[in-house]
Amino acid sequence: MAWIFPRLTRRSFLKLGAAASAAASPLLTSAPVKAALFEFAHPKREQMKAEVHQTICNFCSSLCNVNVKTLGEGETKRIVKLDGNVESTLNRGRMCARGQSGLYQTYDTDRLKTPLIRVEGSKRGEMKFRAASWDEAWKYIADKKKQANIQPWEWTSVGGWTSCVFYMNWAVPFAVSNQIPNLIASPMQHCVTTGHLGTDVVTGNFNIHDEILPDYENARYIMFVANNGSLGAVSTCRAIRFAEGRKKGAKVVALDPRLSETSAKADEWVSIRPGTDLDFMLAMLREMMTEGYYDLDFVRTHTNLPFLLYRDDKQQWQLLKDANGQPYTWDETSNAAVAMKAFANSNTMDASGKHILPAMQVAAGTQVDGKPVQTVFQAQLAEIGDFTPERAAKVTGIEADRIRRIAKEFGTTRPSLIDPGWMGARYNNIQMLRRVQAMIQTLVGGIDTEGGWIMSSEYRHKATKMLERMAKNEQATAPLVQTAGLPFAQLVVGVISKGENFTHGKPGWAWAWAEQQRAEGKPAVALPVMADTGFKETVEGKLSFKGEKYLARALFVNAANPVHHYFPDSHWKDILTNPAMELVIVSDVLPSDTTAYADVILPNSTYLERDEPAMYGNGVNHDLGLTTRYRAIDPLYDTWETPDIMLKLSEIISGTGDGFIGAMEALTGTPAAKVKSELAKLKAANVPSPFSAACRKVNMEMAAEEVGMTPDQLDGELRRRGVYLIESKDDLLAKHSMPRHQPVPTGSGRLEFFSSFFDSLRGMGMTAPNFNVLAGYVPNTIRSDKKPDEPLADNEFYFTYGKSPTVSHGSTNANNPILAGINRFKKDIYTGIWIHPERAKKLGIASGDLIEMENMVSGQKARGKAHVTNMIQHETVFMYSSFGTENPALTRAAGFGTSINKLIPYQVDPVVAGFRSQEFTLRIKKVEGEGVQA
Amino acid sequence: MTYAMQDAWGWSIAIYLFLGGLGAAVMGVVVITDMFRISKREHPTLVVWGALSSIVFLAAGSGMLFIHLLDHLAVINVLNPLVLFKKPDAWIGWGTQFIIWMMVWGFFYACPYLNKAKGTRDMPVIGKSDECNPLCKMMKLCLKYHRAIGWLTVVNAVGTVAYTGLLLQSFPAVALWHNPGLPMLFMVSAFSTALAYILLLQYLAIKEPDQDLRKLFERIDLGLVGLEIALVFFFVNYMLSGSESGLQSVNFLWNSWGWLLGFIVMGLIVPLLLEIGAVSGKLSGHAPVVMAAVLVLVGGFLLRHYTLVAGVYEYPW
Amino acid sequence: MTHYAMVVDLNTCTGCNACMAACAVENQTPVWADKWRTRVHDQEKGNDSANVARTFFPRLCNHCDIPACMTVCPTGATYKMDNGIVRIDDALCMGCQACVLACPYDVRYAVEYEDIHIAKSFYDEDVMKRHRPGVDKCDFCHDRVALGLKPACAATCTADARIFGDLDDPEDRVTKIVRSGKATPLMAHLGTRPNVYYIAEHREEG
Repeated sequence: MAWIFPRLTRRSFLKLGAAASAAASPLLTSAPVKAALFEFAHPKREQMKAEVHQTICNFCSSLCNVNVKTLGEGETKRIVKLDGNVESTLNRGRMCARGQSGLYQTYDTDRLKTPLIRVEGSKRGEMKFRAASWDEAWKYIADKKKQANIQPWEWTSVGGWTSCVFYMNWAVPFAVSNQIPNLIASPMQHCVTTGHLGTDVVTGNFNIHDEILPDYENARYIMFVANNGSLGAVSTCRAIRFAEGRKKGAKVVALDPRLSETSAKADEWVSIRPGTDLDFMLAMLREMMTEGYYDLDFVRTHTNLPFLLYRDDKQQWQLLKDANGQPYTWDETSNAAVAMKAFANSNTMDASGKHILPAMQVAAGTQVDGKPVQTVFQAQLAEIGDFTPERAAKVTGIEADRIRRIAKEFGTTRPSLIDPGWMGARYNNIQMLRRVQAMIQTLVGGIDTEGGWIMSSEYRHKATKMLERMAKNEQATAPLVQTAGLPFAQLVVGVISKGENFTHGKPGWAWAWAEQQRAEGKPAVALPVMADTGFKETVEGKLSFKGEKYLARALFVNAANPVHHYFPDSHWKDILTNPAMELVIVSDVLPSDTTAYADVILPNSTYLERDEPAMYGNGVNHDLGLTTRYRAIDPLYDTWETPDIMLKLSEIISGTGDGFIGAMEALTGTPAAKVKSELAKLKAANVPSPFSAACRKVNMEMAAEEVGMTPDQLDGELRRRGVYLIESKDDLLAKHSMPRHQPVPTGSGRLEFFSSFFDSLRGMGMTAPNFNVLAGYVPNTIRSDKKPDEPLADNEFYFTYGKSPTVSHGSTNANNPILAGINRFKKDIYTGIWIHPERAKKLGIASGDLIEMENMVSGQKARGKAHVTNMIQHETVFMYSSFGTENPALTRAAGFGTSINKLIPYQVDPVVAGFRSQEFTLRIKKVEGEGVQA
Repeated sequence: MTYAMQDAWGWSIAIYLFLGGLGAAVMGVVVITDMFRISKREHPTLVVWGALSSIVFLAAGSGMLFIHLLDHLAVINVLNPLVLFKKPDAWIGWGTQFIIWMMVWGFFYACPYLNKAKGTRDMPVIGKSDECNPLCKMMKLCLKYHRAIGWLTVVNAVGTVAYTGLLLQSFPAVALWHNPGLPMLFMVSAFSTALAYILLLQYLAIKEPDQDLRKLFERIDLGLVGLEIALVFFFVNYMLSGSESGLQSVNFLWNSWGWLLGFIVMGLIVPLLLEIGAVSGKLSGHAPVVMAAVLVLVGGFLLRHYTLVAGVYEYPW
Repeated sequence: MTHYAMVVDLNTCTGCNACMAACAVENQTPVWADKWRTRVHDQEKGNDSANVARTFFPRLCNHCDIPACMTVCPTGATYKMDNGIVRIDDALCMGCQACVLACPYDVRYAVEYEDIHIAKSFYDEDVMKRHRPGVDKCDFCHDRVALGLKPACAATCTADARIFGDLDDPEDRVTKIVRSGKATPLMAHLGTRPNVYYIAEHREEG
């Protein structure tokens, strides 16, 4: 009989033996042993001065409020513990593992400690650097710029999510003032412009980071679809609210091919075939609409479902509008078509102010202005008329009755909530999936209300101000910070997509590339917003604009790690090692995989070592508040703050930083004169990173004025509490709930089933189903030649990946010594390739076996250890996306696990270049032979 | 449910338990043999060599424990006998004191025999001590209270033997350990190994004409080995039902060659047969007894080792 | 009097590991050697796809009323505070590790010389909480508790799965849960009278 659990093996024998001899022979000779033997505890700790500092967590966009406990003073001051701020209604005193371990990012021995310049003669990627002073680093950059004659448009700026959340007010003016039309923002193609945009075309939301915090704790039915990241991996503000909801007895249903952390907490795990969530959701939408599982009052009043549509000559759906562009609806009271205000939050009145009762459906054959019309409701239902639960069952592998039951439960339980989802770029159809989810949430009236989706109050506050201004026909004085929702997205697109906004007349290369592709009749991306599509080609000299070659020859990467985050790894390695790329600058706190490809590395301080240059809203909190970061300790190393790096770069690129500071005023309203005078003072006083400090001072004054306090009062409040609460969720919902009390920032002010956003894109000639003005089917192309329900070969698998609770996608956090300890403890689960036992058995694979995965589309190959488990849908393999760091300078992370971007090819969707990162199958085989065990 | 075996105590502690039981039992046996004048005479040589061996064994065994400690300086906290007032419930505290005092009293008991025992009586200083020698004064003092010292030695020796089993018995989660049979088994095994060791001494080192004593020891050891086999049988029966911990332990032991072949066959059954042969006279010469004794000693260690290894914890997670 | 106890709600734990991280930082445990005062196991339950479940099981010292570890401790290093917390005095502990074997809950581990040596640079010598090797385990963050704070794990638990409280206070949330019988301790049959209670996961048939 096999002995199944660990016994006192030879290994532990040897270990014990070694320990015993180590203790015995050199007992009094070895220095550490001697020290340990004769050195007794000294009570220093008890005598050290204890302090608590306030900051904001930096490991995801949830932005938890954090108390930082330090001991000691001056140079020896040491951070000893981070705690969630109990005063914060956002995270309620709690924090996830990443947040808790945060101080060991600061104390990570692998940190970037000085500027580094690549050793002459070494190649990018070899990680051969020499320490340099800041002056040397700047001189290197300036010389290179001059020598290679790098033009403003040849620069590209790559920013990670922190660049957006904390430094957007610097990053955008930096680009605009230096005439750099090229911005790549790392979460866009993975998340924000794909999944979020899907949600946003319904709700009008669009924010640089989160905009919805679902009110799980008041919901009675909660659904998760293709999403573990927001809850299980881990957004603390969501996790704590979800736990409350579950304790109160909410039923939880999770659609996921894997028994994820989230699915593990569900009452019902729906083990769906990968890439078919849209099929399920369309059937659910259809079921809810046909069976009446919706809040009739709400959808009649606050959505554009009762708007009238007609088909134009090209058989395209068009809104029926009057001469003033006001949409029609069918009033059941007067039994006639009436026009309503073009932009309003409700349909209770016609354009003249008369009360109406909009019809959800009109009789067949109804004509208005000589055109046969239908309501949006009818057109939408017709669009998905074929998508019965039976049809979905065939594709998803989930029984039709179960789909029906879930639709009924969701549609008839109030309040019910379907999580909007995170990390929305996996399939061509994910944007539509998120859009349908938003529609389903709309059907039950669960928008900006208890137990449903509640908007981030920071975002809503901005929207409220914007709407008030719009109502008064006033222009924004600081457009970057005063524009909310889809208009913000359109503002950004408007700036970077048009050459006329720049003195050199060139738009971003992504837009020029799309234009060139279209001109050549090749597939192009409609809105490559801050995407990397066309970058490689531009670097390779394949892009021309108005007859001139458009090159990309310099790169400034700030707190982003595209070599590990983007797909595939070789794509970015090719870009970075291309000889045409003259200059690569990377700013970070740790030697990420991307830093290995830099010419110059600029070390940044960590979030615990700095005062931020601005005041921020309280993340995605339901309550409205102000918060910021206070440095807990002085920077440990020779580091600069991001705004100062941007100012210095501006001086190099444009000869002066004045344009940058001026652009800040124009875009964000920060008074340039004041900033400059503070800057001069702080420079004279030799304050490190003086520009950041100057901005902080001015921004504190501005924020204090806004809330009616003196800067000292606000500063004192923030130092004491970490967050200053302005208004509570209940008050905000009672006054400003969208769309109940004010329009949503869509084209019509209503929640939109007929999308004004995609309506506006129709001029671009996009015909792919992704651009449908209504919710409709978008195929996934995992197996381009086969239908989803056709069986896979014995060795063929769908591929899925997800975020682990300890390390975000490919983050340098894998190197955090505390998190690395947890990851080693859970190594089998966290770095294993999850594979179903029945399938594994056929291939002779057991847990721990080395297996090789080959992408059947691109031929990419990677290896990993099998983790055989029933917790995965049988056609699928899964791996966490957290690991597989390559740079040996990250001593704990390097070589731990496999990176997903070794398997994922470059495939993007046609709307925003979202990554279709799971649209392929893998061929799997066991690796036989010697040395396999190691 | 998760099953696990401990790895905090390894072979060094097994040696500690083995040498502790063996040494203490040797001490107990030689002192009792002498005190009660078995075979109607004193046994100075047996006492001296038995007691000295015992002290060496216990010093070596305790050394194993000491090396295994995490904080060697803090050992002072357990050497202080006053700790028993603070922690009377911990067996390591008692065991440490039993060991120390058994060694001390045992030495004093053997002391007066140093100039009489074969091997030491011919030594300089020790063998030739006269009236003014402080050693001789001490010998005299010891001789004056010899019986009291003998009893102190025996009590501490038996305490030490019992302690090795009680120590494991105090770990409640493991069925193999947490039962009254274990101290019994360890005690029987300790005395069996002690007699085996003494027989080896007699046959190979002392070589005095003490055939009567050897015969007696052989007979007692035969009985003890027989009793040990019976106890092991009871153990197996006990563990086969009642707890997953016990069941898994039996499972493990019965899949281990070291236990089956090493302990059961070579450490118990073969010595039993050899001793039966020797006692009944069917096997003649020293070889069978010597061989049986060596096997019993090896078996004694394997018993401690496997008992430590095979303790199975069942966790409800 | 005070009688500290913890309730662990297995229904909400999502295996986020925040407790492990918080505890490691607060108590400076040798994470480099995989030594933790608390762990969360990530476990697969059920034998087939239709019945599989994933359970996250947090565990820590049970602060027993009759602690087997304390009984076997020869130096008195392991002792019970008046508030029910079972602690180790590292000045007294010589590290015989009898307590490691006595504990039925596998929560004790050895801090070796090497661990102390590494800790000096890892956790910074000036602020180190322990300077001597010996056995270590959860002490409900007795120093935090003395200041009126919750243990680091319970304070940060993102799922409110670790509920810390005082069983001698009839109004305490923990007392109410324990009195309701919803939560039960681990291996109560061993007679250790543990003070960590678990609310079992609710799973429906089929």
